[in-house]
Amino acid sequence: MSKFTTDTVIGLEIHVELDTDTKLFCGCPTAAEEPNSACCETCLGMPGSKPVLNKKAVEYALRLCLALNCKINPSLIFSRKTYFYPDMAKNYQITQYEEPLGKWGSLPLDEKTSIGITRVHIEEDPAALVHPGSMQSSPFVLVDYNRSGRPLCEVVTEPEMTSPEQARDFMRRLITILNYLEIFDQQHCIIKADANISIKDSGYTRVEVKNITGFKEIERALQYEIKRQRDAVKSKEKIIFETRAWDAEQGMTFSLRSKESEEDYGYILDPDLVPIDITQEMIAHTRKNMPELAHDRIKRYISQHKIPEIDAKVIAEERKLAELFEKVAEEIDPVLAAQWLRRELVRVMNYTQTSFEQLKIDETHLIELLGMVEKREITDAVGKKLMEKLIEAGDKPFSPREHVKREGLGVVSDTAAIEKLCAEAIAENAQAVKEFREGNEKSFNYIVGQVMKKSRGKAAPKEVNEILKGMLE
Amino acid sequence: MVQEFINKVRSGEIDVVEHTKKVIAQCKELNAKYNCFTVITEELALQQAAAVKKNPKGRLAGVPLSVKDCLCVKGVESAAGSAVLEGYKPLFSATAVQKCVDEGAIIIGKTSQDEFGFGGFSVNVGIGKKVPLNPHDIERACGGSSGGSASMTFLAAGRFPHISLAESTGGSIVNPASFCGVLGLCPTYGRVSRYGLIDYGNSLDKIGPMALSVHDLALVQSIISGHDPKDSTSIQAQAPDFLPFLNKGVKGLKVGVIKELIGEGVDKSVKQAVQNAIGILKKNGAIITEISLPLTQKYSIPVYYLLATAEASTNLAKYCGMRYGAHEKLEGGFNEYFTNVRSTHFGKEAKRRIILGTFARMAGFRDAYYIKALALRTKITQEFKKAFASVDILVSPTVPTLALKFKDISKLSPLQNYLFDIMTVGPNLAGMPHLNVPVGKPEGLPAGMLLVSDHLQEGVLLQAAALLEHDLPSGNGKENSGSDASISAMNNFKTSKSSAKSVKG
Repeated sequence: MSKFTTDTVIGLEIHVELDTDTKLFCGCPTAAEEPNSACCETCLGMPGSKPVLNKKAVEYALRLCLALNCKINPSLIFSRKTYFYPDMAKNYQITQYEEPLGKWGSLPLDEKTSIGITRVHIEEDPAALVHPGSMQSSPFVLVDYNRSGRPLCEVVTEPEMTSPEQARDFMRRLITILNYLEIFDQQHCIIKADANISIKDSGYTRVEVKNITGFKEIERALQYEIKRQRDAVKSKEKIIFETRAWDAEQGMTFSLRSKESEEDYGYILDPDLVPIDITQEMIAHTRKNMPELAHDRIKRYISQHKIPEIDAKVIAEERKLAELFEKVAEEIDPVLAAQWLRRELVRVMNYTQTSFEQLKIDETHLIELLGMVEKREITDAVGKKLMEKLIEAGDKPFSPREHVKREGLGVVSDTAAIEKLCAEAIAENAQAVKEFREGNEKSFNYIVGQVMKKSRGKAAPKEVNEILKGMLE
Repeated sequence: MVQEFINKVRSGEIDVVEHTKKVIAQCKELNAKYNCFTVITEELALQQAAAVKKNPKGRLAGVPLSVKDCLCVKGVESAAGSAVLEGYKPLFSATAVQKCVDEGAIIIGKTSQDEFGFGGFSVNVGIGKKVPLNPHDIERACGGSSGGSASMTFLAAGRFPHISLAESTGGSIVNPASFCGVLGLCPTYGRVSRYGLIDYGNSLDKIGPMALSVHDLALVQSIISGHDPKDSTSIQAQAPDFLPFLNKGVKGLKVGVIKELIGEGVDKSVKQAVQNAIGILKKNGAIITEISLPLTQKYSIPVYYLLATAEASTNLAKYCGMRYGAHEKLEGGFNEYFTNVRSTHFGKEAKRRIILGTFARMAGFRDAYYIKALALRTKITQEFKKAFASVDILVSPTVPTLALKFKDISKLSPLQNYLFDIMTVGPNLAGMPHLNVPVGKPEGLPAGMLLVSDHLQEGVLLQAAALLEHDLPSGNGKENSGSDASISAMNNFKTSKSSAKSVKG
């Protein structure tokens, strides 16, 4: 009997590159452009070299363990995982085997669902293999050791996800946590996942899909693989216990090897590295200096800023949005700020396909803009247009206040001016006026729209409503 | 003693460049007969000599230094005696080497050894390398694996001042020191940085000096000791100046004779020489007792060979002809290429130890061998710790026999070969400092006594060795030949043999 009951069972092994300045066991920089320009005797595996642990990487990994509610092992122990491959500088990888830094954690997806974390451990990245042209066509392979020895954190989940959408949600939340923890730089650091997938129809025969980059890819790869397995079962093919790879370009998985021939890594403790005590003081210190995570921010936004829960969630789950909100809320009514950030900013970003990494807008311009909206110095319509302009301006920002002044976009609220616009609109839209007088309320809104259009969105809507109504009745 | 020479270099009485030239010429001549060196570093030596001549302040000013091949010397082929590392010229020097150079030592060459340290006779040299010969009888082995260092150290006697940097994993300093009749000190594990040492078994590897006088040994040990941030396993404790220990005498010193290692299985002549030395210690006021180390006796050989080879098999994985050392024509997939390079350039014993060590850590066997050996290592260390609660020094012969003839070594099975390490693997597993002191030349061949002390207590070893050096007739005679040393005696190690069965599985 299988312990599983759902149609689909998914477990993930995620490799996160930690955003340290230097590599895990040597002083080489983690960032370098020119191939093989950031390597030394240690990350090249030269005879006589010895690894020295980067304490920053341990601190970062500890933050992640704590954020994922893991039990922390009192001792940090490294092992050697031995296998021969051209991207390996030593033909063994320094990783953690016997006892990971953290285990038995969890990551909540919503109030009801939480995904178990089996283990979180630290290991070194191998070098990068570069196949000029493509892997199939290139007669040779180049090795770039800049990547060799970069610090990775491996997060292994329990097989508790039941759909590709859930796996994507898990990845997205994990990335949010990594961003909040300031241990991962989405611009430069790589996040990769291996997924274990099985379906009920096959009797839960496990297939591993390796090398999925990013959280959008995970959904695609899993959707493909589940369909492949279902189709195979339907056409009476046998699903085998195997390792497959995800080809993002072709949007398909292909078989790498059957698990029957799975390698034996012959783990031993790495005798070059002494066990390091993870003391209660270290844990307490790390916990104390942990940035506030989404979960806590949502609660705080609701209680402190009295903003709606939906706004709080959307804002807190994206670090950049949360940071903008907190700065803006110091100057602007938080409810207004939350509403504008969640609805307008996100709407414009979606519309212009701007990602949060690409978003250049800063709080001073937002405060200016929303300040004018708050004080009704501009109308919402003008505010929305300005938001679009600010995002489109990218890294050439402008002052919204000066822009309003220069373009004469300030709100028009003096009665004489509005009356003049209303009179024009009534004269030009006789049909609509007639319909309104016959009892069609919608026609009134149409005439209001015409007035607003004449004012280029600047007329104060409340005043327009009152004056127009007075003039028509 | 090198001190007098150093003083003359410092005062300018000796022209260190001229001296170095003569030493290099002599080394070439000696090497032609004894194969002590894999490389003689003439150019580097003359450069260093010129620098010392300008600034002769160092504590080792002008002293010729030979360095075991497994220690990296910047720009000099450092191959750990292996063909697989042919042409590997490190971009950096080992910390221990650099410390000596900083004190004015002159590197004269890299000494020959068993490939990667895999042996006790220096006969397991890498493919195409020459076996170093015993200066007392060229038909005999130097001991190993630091055979070239020991041979050179003895040959320097009466010719020129000299010290050597050697390395021990399971006895590779004291064993050849015993066969060649010189002093060798293997310090506490972690006392000397391993940075720049080409690994055999990282949890066991130690760098230590060989010399002709206890003074020289103490001087070099004082210089090379100390924490190194580049080696995570190097210990924080500050090393003392070891020279003041030399005049302390042995009055009141508690000496434990290891019961299991002085009885059956030891050559009569070796036993006599060691007992004679113990008598001298006693006469000078040491308190002699007998100590039993049953666990060490029973398990140290299998535990050592499982752990050392498990580590070695991972260390040697990197040699695949991709980045340095021997290359082959690029053909086939990476697996075929790696296999070709490794099959062609590793010697027979290296292959044997890779296979043994890989087996010991594979799934299904790992718990029974590797993990169990780790647990037993802790027990063995505890047994030593317990012994040192009641004595200051443990003594035994260093090797059960006098230097063996090559023709007799060739008759040994691999297991008999490994059993020769019975005296030395225990302190090596426990990380305890140990020292070989020559205790006479029965049958014209040097016999050695092993002194072992507690962690970080190198001082007391030097203290006892200094007394013996003073009270024993000099063992440093001229080269001659001796009579056969018994190897059949090895068969008397009954307990070891039965425990060694577990190695076989």
